[in-house]
Amino acid sequence: MEKELDKVVEEIMSTPNVAGCLVADHQGLCLASKGTAHVDSAGLIVAISEQACKIEPNLKPPTVCLETDNKQCLIQRHGTITGAVFKQKGVA
Amino acid sequence: MEKIPDQLGYLILTEDGAVLESGGDLENDERVATIITDLISLSNSIDPVAYDPDEKFKKITITYDDHWFIICISNKKIYVVKRNIPTSSIDNVAVNV
Repeated sequence: MEKELDKVVEEIMSTPNVAGCLVADHQGLCLASKGTAHVDSAGLIVAISEQACKIEPNLKPPTVCLETDNKQCLIQRHGTITGAVFKQKGVA
Repeated sequence: MEKIPDQLGYLILTEDGAVLESGGDLENDERVATIITDLISLSNSIDPVAYDPDEKFKKITITYDDHWFIICISNKKIYVVKRNIPTSSIDNVAVNV
């Protein structure tokens, strides 16, 4: 089971400009992490996605994007699983 | 704020979440105001490895299928805009298919 998840994480990490990737369950427990994504952020990432879901509870979970000048953090929830991708911006 | 293209609603909040100005779908929407201020305080403590401690987020976007929320902070005020995502691009794909 973990092999499948590791394969997905590897695939995401091989995408250009991706610096880190994290997958967590609904309790905020880290299922997989790679690159700059820290295991300790799992709870926070799930909390952010849950908070964003509260805005429109009747719609499917939104994608949250947190941006700094040169980095991006994309958070998306799918069922009970939340994924986060940390990206570098600007390098085309 | 009313002049922003495809704008569906907007909020201008103080840092503690009090509504200063509002309009459209978000008129006097204190529920969304509270959620967004909580979201900002959560995002302040994200990943210490991926982000330097002095690196602060300058923009947060929350994207749904047909609309999105853009959140920025300027001059100690929180600006939130709800914008429509034009369906024309989706229609083009449908035509091609």
